[in-house]
Amino acid sequence: MSGHPRLASGAAAAGAASGRRAARLSIKSVRRLYGELEAIRDVSFDVAEGEFLSVLGPSGCGKSTLLMMVAGLLNPSEGEIIINGDPVRGPRREIGVVFQSPLLLPWRNVLDNVLLPIEMLRLPRREYQERARALLDMAKIHDFAGRLPKELSGGMRQRVAICRALVHDPSILLMDEPFSALDALTRDEMGLELLRIWHHHRKTVIFVTHSIREAAFLSDRVLVMGRRPATVTRELAIELPRPRLIDMMEGDAFNHHVRILRKAIEASHET
Amino acid sequence: MTALLALARRLGSLDWPLGATLALLLAWEVLVRALGVRSILLPPPSEILEVIVLRYDFLLANLWPSLYMTVFGFLLSVVGGVFIAILITYSAIVRKVLYPIIVISQVVPKISIAPLLIVWFGTGAISGLLLAFLIGFFPMTINAAAGFQAVDEDILKMARACMGSRWQIFRSIRLPHAMPYLFSGMKISITLAIIGVVVSEFVASQEGIGYLIKLAGGLLDTPLMMAAITVLSITGLLLYAIIAWVEGLVIYWQSPSFVEVAQGA
Repeated sequence: MSGHPRLASGAAAAGAASGRRAARLSIKSVRRLYGELEAIRDVSFDVAEGEFLSVLGPSGCGKSTLLMMVAGLLNPSEGEIIINGDPVRGPRREIGVVFQSPLLLPWRNVLDNVLLPIEMLRLPRREYQERARALLDMAKIHDFAGRLPKELSGGMRQRVAICRALVHDPSILLMDEPFSALDALTRDEMGLELLRIWHHHRKTVIFVTHSIREAAFLSDRVLVMGRRPATVTRELAIELPRPRLIDMMEGDAFNHHVRILRKAIEASHET
Repeated sequence: MTALLALARRLGSLDWPLGATLALLLAWEVLVRALGVRSILLPPPSEILEVIVLRYDFLLANLWPSLYMTVFGFLLSVVGGVFIAILITYSAIVRKVLYPIIVISQVVPKISIAPLLIVWFGTGAISGLLLAFLIGFFPMTINAAAGFQAVDEDILKMARACMGSRWQIFRSIRLPHAMPYLFSGMKISITLAIIGVVVSEFVASQEGIGYLIKLAGGLLDTPLMMAAITVLSITGLLLYAIIAWVEGLVIYWQSPSFVEVAQGA
């Protein structure tokens, strides 16, 4: 199963497995070159509506680059990315992005930080202010709406970043190792928080991570990426019931998935 | 109200330097009298104070023109500096052409062209204003450009992902980010503006505090000279303090930075 660059058939099979949902997002034969260096080679996969997909791989394997191309911040050298039927030509309203660090503006309070996309999109503030507050409430940081970022902890700031990514009601949420910079305890907690928020607002999520456990715990499906050049080497559907509970991490089913993923990563190192 | 409290707190932390200064003045007073130093050489602080009080109208009459030119020259250098900094930030051509010139000119002592300005513009106030502007302009530009450009690349990525236009990114991100740099530049520029005005008046002028210092020197009236110097220093201190105070109000999200990217006369 490993070493196959084209997983269109595999993706279709997984799509059928996850229900008859339409593909929200299609990545077709995407390739990314930096001069002569091939950073990403021939990546193709579909993501169904409302699906939580993880892209798992070691640091520097191009998964962040792939995400930036989906976000419209980078152009693929070859291939296409199609969202809701339209090819991606630049940043789009349907997308919300959460980065590794919260990237909050220090001179704005929490509420104004969350409302940044609304300003950039020139939408009426009044209408979205309620939504912003509701998001903060759901993320359990409503009391901090008027505070400055410097008054918040790392985990809380990342929650603000997640609210900001959701405020303009995107259909797709892109997350680039959003919990890597947090300590292990906060990280687990944030994973559960994310799932809880995701259950409220069912978005299509593409979650980039280098943590096998995180990928297995959070997602419906995991794509393993190898590096040099980066390509999808393995795809795994996660057969765990939802809602996910932290106890599942001790179960056989979960660890079975983890073993498969670990083997896949080791295999891609050897190629 | 909070602004006044902030000011009071700032002043409160001045009690040590204030105490040291008073001690120094006291020592000066005592030593000069005890050693019998002549006024023409080094007058005691009490005599300087006497001159300030007795001749305050003469001092103020000369202070005003210098003050006007300092403030106007400073404002021009701020506006000009920010404008050029924006051009540098957004135009690669401007950046490549102007920026090296601006940086190199930092090394050239601009006060050396004071006589040239007088040849061109006469001994009136305009020369002082121009010199103040020229000295203050370059550091302001460098600081402002640094502030606009030094934004974290990831924050710009985030803003573009939110579909921000260049103008929106400038107004909502680059400008607030640059505030500490701008105020740093302003503190440098106001200090240099005073120097520019006074030096221009030293070279040739008919009024101003620099002119008064030179006049007093010519008359060997050292107490008057030192009174003028004292008034000038206090004025400079006040101008700087005003900027620092405004900075405290504007930059509420971090402590005043001592970002000093460039300075030089």
